[in-house]
Amino acid sequence: MEELKFDVVIVGGGPAGLSCGITLAKAGIRALLIERGRFCGAKNLFGGVVYTKSVKELVPEFPNVEPSPVERPVTEEGYYIVSSEGLVKLLHRKKDPHEAFTATRARFDSFLAEYALKLGLEIAPKTKVLDLLKEGQRIKGVIVDRPRAFGDPRPTEIPANIVVIAEGVNRVLTEKAGLIGRPFGAEDVALAVKEIIQLPKGALEARLGLAEGQGLAVEIIGDITACLPGTGFIYTNRNHLSFGLGLFLSNLRESAFKPYELLERAKNHPHLRELFKDGEILEYGAHLIPEWGLEGLPRLYGDGVLVVGDSAGLVNPLFREGTNLAIYSGIMAGKTIIEAFEKGDFSSRTLKAYEAQLRESFIYQDLITLKKLKKHLFTNIHLFKTYPELLYDTISLFFSAQGRPKREVMREIFELIRKKRGFLGIVGDLIKVGRALW
Amino acid sequence: MVKDIYVNIDEKISSVKFFVDEEYCHLKIKSEEVCLNCERKPCLSFCPAGVYRLDSNGKILINYQACLECGSCRVGCPFNNILWDYPRGGFGLNYKFG
Ligand SMILES: Cc1cc2nc3c(=O)[nH]c(=O)nc-3n(C[C@H](O)[C@H](O)[C@H](O)COP(=O)(O)OP(=O)(O)OC[C@H]3O[C@@H](n4cnc5c(N)ncnc54)[C@H](O)[C@@H]3O)c2cc1C
Ligand code: SF4
Ligand code: SF4
Repeated sequence: MEELKFDVVIVGGGPAGLSCGITLAKAGIRALLIERGRFCGAKNLFGGVVYTKSVKELVPEFPNVEPSPVERPVTEEGYYIVSSEGLVKLLHRKKDPHEAFTATRARFDSFLAEYALKLGLEIAPKTKVLDLLKEGQRIKGVIVDRPRAFGDPRPTEIPANIVVIAEGVNRVLTEKAGLIGRPFGAEDVALAVKEIIQLPKGALEARLGLAEGQGLAVEIIGDITACLPGTGFIYTNRNHLSFGLGLFLSNLRESAFKPYELLERAKNHPHLRELFKDGEILEYGAHLIPEWGLEGLPRLYGDGVLVVGDSAGLVNPLFREGTNLAIYSGIMAGKTIIEAFEKGDFSSRTLKAYEAQLRESFIYQDLITLKKLKKHLFTNIHLFKTYPELLYDTISLFFSAQGRPKREVMREIFELIRKKRGFLGIVGDLIKVGRALW
Repeated sequence: MVKDIYVNIDEKISSVKFFVDEEYCHLKIKSEEVCLNCERKPCLSFCPAGVYRLDSNGKILINYQACLECGSCRVGCPFNNILWDYPRGGFGLNYKFG
């Protein structure tokens, strides 16, 4: 590489980095996005669902773009609550079927990258950022794993006025920038394993009751994770399913279960088995989800540096949000950078406006809510074992009450609830969740 | 081990495309002695790609070519005994779907 100098260098070509890049390109700021994969999306995996409103902020004509970067509109979504005995489905037909779409990341991220390229963002794929260029505390650029010149194997230095760290959950550079209080541990992340499963022709629609142009997004709770804290998911793509499990790494480590064995167990669950019958695995994969929330939030700015997306931990696992928060944070960072160039000041004095914007947004409010909620939900074993069992048993009793005095059936149901969790226990759990939400 | 479930992880991994870097192994054990004294050896089970295996002498082997680059072992090894890195730019995992 020849001697290069950019206004801005963005590390990472996921939705956060690309959104920042698109925002800057629209404003005519010369930015270089560096991605270690062979293309943007090559390293990335999610559930998953993307949200139209957030994508439109970048690509106003979305979803009317050809070729389509998404799979199916989410016309129906909800929960499967699984116990060893059976399955309760809680599904909801969405009012606006174009609010969200299922997608795969190799395609979705590379679509955003193509779009960004057309706007003038420069993208260097197949390039890994090794370290940051620093002058005291000030970030002055990056060092990449490309030789400086033919015959000069030293790594290339790329100076820039501002570096945007969009490296995703494994926040190595964020740490090197001195922006985190403590490195995260196994209890601060969930490990997700996922398969893309192709079913025999017509089976996807038939087994899930979908027509063409309809799609399903389901979270699965209960016995699916062998009652470890975590969830499963099913998302319908055009011609295949995304099926996976997400588990706290610390719990998984304690259990000594292998994640792919749990996935196999889930696929063979007596009440889901039929769905996957004769399915062919097109691709297996794994990825971490940041769960450190507010406690693990890094400082989001420094002199010459900003942190966006998963590197900051901006996800909401309860509402399956991540890409949208990555996009909004990327845009906010982009806007702050545009201001910085107007002022000609790249120090934290100007860049802190990004954190202030984020704090005012719903993203930060939700992090606060989540912090309280998580304590009650994810540490509450009842949610993953007792409640799913109870729900199924109760509903089974209710629907098999024919030919019996209904008072007797109700008494049996109450007795069941009392035995499994106790009314006070349930009320207690509800109050805790309620307090967190309101 | 999950009861009654056996998965051939090598077969599963063969569904993923890799551009293997033959010149750089991006995962290293810092101290073999720490591993020998690590009683439960959780890396053998939590790694979603089965990268860590035991040889017949009880030594940890690293099959880095199959690494899904998830980062679990970076924080999951209780003794922080894994020197973790991504493969060099352009190498390693290359999802078709993701
Ligand atoms: C199983 C799972 C299910 C999910 N489901 C959903 C869902 O349904 N809906 C939703 O909205 N969100 C979902 N999410 C969350 C969502 O995927 C993330 O929040 C989002 O991708 C974060 O975007 P990002 O750009 O910050 O990070 P990433 O998408 O991780 O991008 C980071 C990029 O940086 C690159 N990179 C890293 N280090 C370097 C380096 N040193 N040099 C060069 N490049 C580097 C990586 O290769 C990668 O391309 C899910 C996540 C998981 C794991
Ligand atoms: S968990 Fe860590 S210390 Fe234990 S065997 Fe694995 S790498 Fe070695
Ligand atoms: S990064 Fe993930 S896939 Fe790779 S060796 Fe570590 S745990 Fe296994």
